[in-house]
Amino acid sequence: MATRLSDIVRAIPARLRLQGTAAHALETARHRLVVGGMLFAVAFAVVGGRLVDVTMLTEAREPRAARVPNTGPLELARADIVDRNGVLLATSLVTQSLYANPKLIANPEATARRLAAVLPGLDEKAVRDRLASDQRSFVWIRRSLTPRQQYEVNRLGVPGLFFQREERRVYPHGVLASHAVGFADLDNRGLAGAEQAFDERLKTEREPVRLSLDIRAQHVVREEIKRAIEEFNAIGGMGVLLDVATGETLAMVSLPDFDSNAPGLADDDARFNRNTLGTYEMGSTFKMFTAAMGFDSGAVRMQDSWDASKPYTIGRFTISDFHGKNRWLTTPEVFIYSSNLGALRMAQRIGVERQRDFMDRVGFLRPSPIELPEVSHPLVPKPWREINALTISYGHGITVSPMQLVGAAAASVGGGILRPVTILAREESARAPGERVMSAAASAQLNQLMRLNVERGSGRSAEVAGYYVGGKTGTAEKIQRGGYKKNARISSFVASFPAHDPKYVLLVMVDEPQGRRETGGYATGGVVAAPTAGRIIARVAPLLGLPPMREAVPDLTQPLLAAAILR
Amino acid sequence: MAIGLTTQRARPGLLARLKDVPWLLVLLVVGLTAVSCGMLYSAAGGDWEPWAQRQMIFVGIGLVLMLAAALLDIRTWYRFAYLFYVAGVLLLLGVEIAGVAGMGAKRWLDLGFVRIQPSEFVKIGVVLVLARYFHGMPQERIGNPLFLLWPAFLVLLPAVLVLVQPKLGSAVLIGFTALVVFFVAGVRLWKFMVLGGLVAGAVPIAWSFLHDYQKRRVLTFLNPESDPLGSGYHIIQSRIALGSGGIWGKGFAQGSQSQLQFLPEKQTDFIYAVLAEEFGLVGSLGLLVVYLCILAFLLGIAARTRSQFARLLAIGVAAMFFANVFVNIAMVTGLLPVVGEPLPLMSLGGSAMIATLTALGLAMSAFVGRDRTISRSGDDVV
Repeated sequence: MATRLSDIVRAIPARLRLQGTAAHALETARHRLVVGGMLFAVAFAVVGGRLVDVTMLTEAREPRAARVPNTGPLELARADIVDRNGVLLATSLVTQSLYANPKLIANPEATARRLAAVLPGLDEKAVRDRLASDQRSFVWIRRSLTPRQQYEVNRLGVPGLFFQREERRVYPHGVLASHAVGFADLDNRGLAGAEQAFDERLKTEREPVRLSLDIRAQHVVREEIKRAIEEFNAIGGMGVLLDVATGETLAMVSLPDFDSNAPGLADDDARFNRNTLGTYEMGSTFKMFTAAMGFDSGAVRMQDSWDASKPYTIGRFTISDFHGKNRWLTTPEVFIYSSNLGALRMAQRIGVERQRDFMDRVGFLRPSPIELPEVSHPLVPKPWREINALTISYGHGITVSPMQLVGAAAASVGGGILRPVTILAREESARAPGERVMSAAASAQLNQLMRLNVERGSGRSAEVAGYYVGGKTGTAEKIQRGGYKKNARISSFVASFPAHDPKYVLLVMVDEPQGRRETGGYATGGVVAAPTAGRIIARVAPLLGLPPMREAVPDLTQPLLAAAILR
Repeated sequence: MAIGLTTQRARPGLLARLKDVPWLLVLLVVGLTAVSCGMLYSAAGGDWEPWAQRQMIFVGIGLVLMLAAALLDIRTWYRFAYLFYVAGVLLLLGVEIAGVAGMGAKRWLDLGFVRIQPSEFVKIGVVLVLARYFHGMPQERIGNPLFLLWPAFLVLLPAVLVLVQPKLGSAVLIGFTALVVFFVAGVRLWKFMVLGGLVAGAVPIAWSFLHDYQKRRVLTFLNPESDPLGSGYHIIQSRIALGSGGIWGKGFAQGSQSQLQFLPEKQTDFIYAVLAEEFGLVGSLGLLVVYLCILAFLLGIAARTRSQFARLLAIGVAAMFFANVFVNIAMVTGLLPVVGEPLPLMSLGGSAMIATLTALGLAMSAFVGRDRTISRSGDDVV
């Protein structure tokens, strides 16, 4: 065909050469048509392939997850802290914090002025200086804005301002358990209390940390201690309620206290946890340990008598009794009259070694095992001489923390089993096994004395009908440099209830109470702390599930009275 | 061949030409317009108002014009090629001077009783003048770059006028159509390569002249998820519509993307997504096959015509048709940025529908007059 075509082209005259051009054009055009057509087909194949891809292979489907609001679990950097009943003590709220990139801030002065207008309390000058910095590209303006503040800042429309999602620690109960719960800083680092003690756990686990505290008991204890402080114009007070069977701390109050939400506003004294970090000469409450170790070692019997007829002089010290009877006293009399001389005589018979051993066993020579970071070492005599043993018998010459005292008291009244005190709620399986530190018989004898003291001695005002309170008062002179402070004492009361089978131990301490006319100018443990303990027990016992006892309970004091040990 | 020269003189009667119209092609075209009306009915939530009814009127006018164009003698088209071209350019100038703005651009010309988009019609004029210019041009002249200046001007004038409306997509389509005509007319390949190099070099410069919205579209095209509620919205919703259709689709008037108004511009530029959602992969590929058939028809016409004019006319129409279909579907499927070009014979729009049908009529006219030869003056060769 091609040869024939070219033959014809050559054959036709010149004026018809147009035909030849046409033939040539036709050939080119047809070639190129095929090429073009193939390109079109390829393009369509591409589009068709794309269709298959989009329809069948690509993930595009009916509105997908990307468009669905995130309803997954809220991820927080820090777990909650709750009390033993699950009441929220510390939690995290998501907030927005404002920062700026100074390199993007065109006018630091105007920006600072406008920010100060919507963020009350903002230091305009400091912010202006920070915004004017040309080295940094990140400066905080204000942490944890409220939603309204965030809205206002957004409304300013200043470029270079940004928000950072943050978590702010919130303590719904504020001051109520601040020493136990503690607080965390803006960067979510635990700085005190349980927040610091369980920092790692709070950061890594989602489960809340459950404290042993019962926020209801905590509230009652705090309210009554506060009342005593006000009534006696004291400078502070402490209260600890312990579960004897488990060592769990149900309430721990240290006054003055602070708000965990704003620890920076409180002074050091308020942030100081007196129960664990403070150590004190406990005074007469220690006589319960002198009695306990005496019974346990056999050095002291209920029917023994002790010479308290005249002051005792050792070296340059003279030891006497406050309102002394100036005669020989039986063991129960020593306890209920709180005779220093009687206790001293007991210590002499017990001996230095046995006293020291007992003190070690019940935990007075080492820091309290409570998990809080704020624990201090007790101040114990070294060496432990006879003079130390004599003063320690009535609670002087050794300083211990209230937590240590409560732990030892719980062991002494609770059948002689020492259980480490704890701030965590413990399931049965997680409880530390108790350690026997004295005989059950010695513990029972101590309980007789404790009950007797509330029935007839210095602790009478702690009695609560139906709860058979036992207890020991204490009034310790406060140490000052170079001696004891005049008219500055700590009044305390250690209570156990019910006395014949103590379930709970309560310690109440009031720091520097002043005597009142109604109390005859006295501010002793019996006048200040014992009534407070009574009021606390009356309110707390029912809510701890302890009903008032109507049926006959073993009468602890009748044997003592029958044996005419008590004159 | 010599026999053909003598028998062509006689001009076939109207009836004979009517018989010669490629009715299979007409059938395919009419079928597509019917699908279009159906999809617009569906996109309106199962209502003839407001789109399907209007589209049917456009289709009616367009089909009449198509047949008229098909029956018009090929030489008449040759003779009046410049007239059509000049009319189209004048309309474009009219848009520039007295155009009606809509959606941030001046694209419409209000003729009192009807509004038209001259950019759709000017494409026909360009194809006509290019076909006429290259008709019968000796190869050595085509090889001379100087002789390409005039047709280049003929293309660039309307292209630039469309570009400033601004309607980037249409300008590019005009350019592409012209290039195909140039190519088939025999312009040397190396010239296309030079042009390609120049364009590649000009892209960075052109970028700086682009409108912000155009830049945004291109950038969004490259990463639609970057702006899912802004410029990327069309593409994402369109792809969801395509993807949710599956193989068989959700059924006529059952597409949730389109029915629930998630899909913007569904009656015009994104009609294909509506179809894909409701008729699935089968429906959308089927439509693609119909388009391919029409294209094959047009290329077949180009291959069978005797005169260069008719051939270039057919290839020009084919290129125009192809480019429009390709650009639209590629856009809907996310292969190309959203350029806002309608899908021929499917999208709602009077100007585009009538212009496309008229252009197809031109190609049919080329088929009817496939055996005719045309002198450069427009007469039969003697």
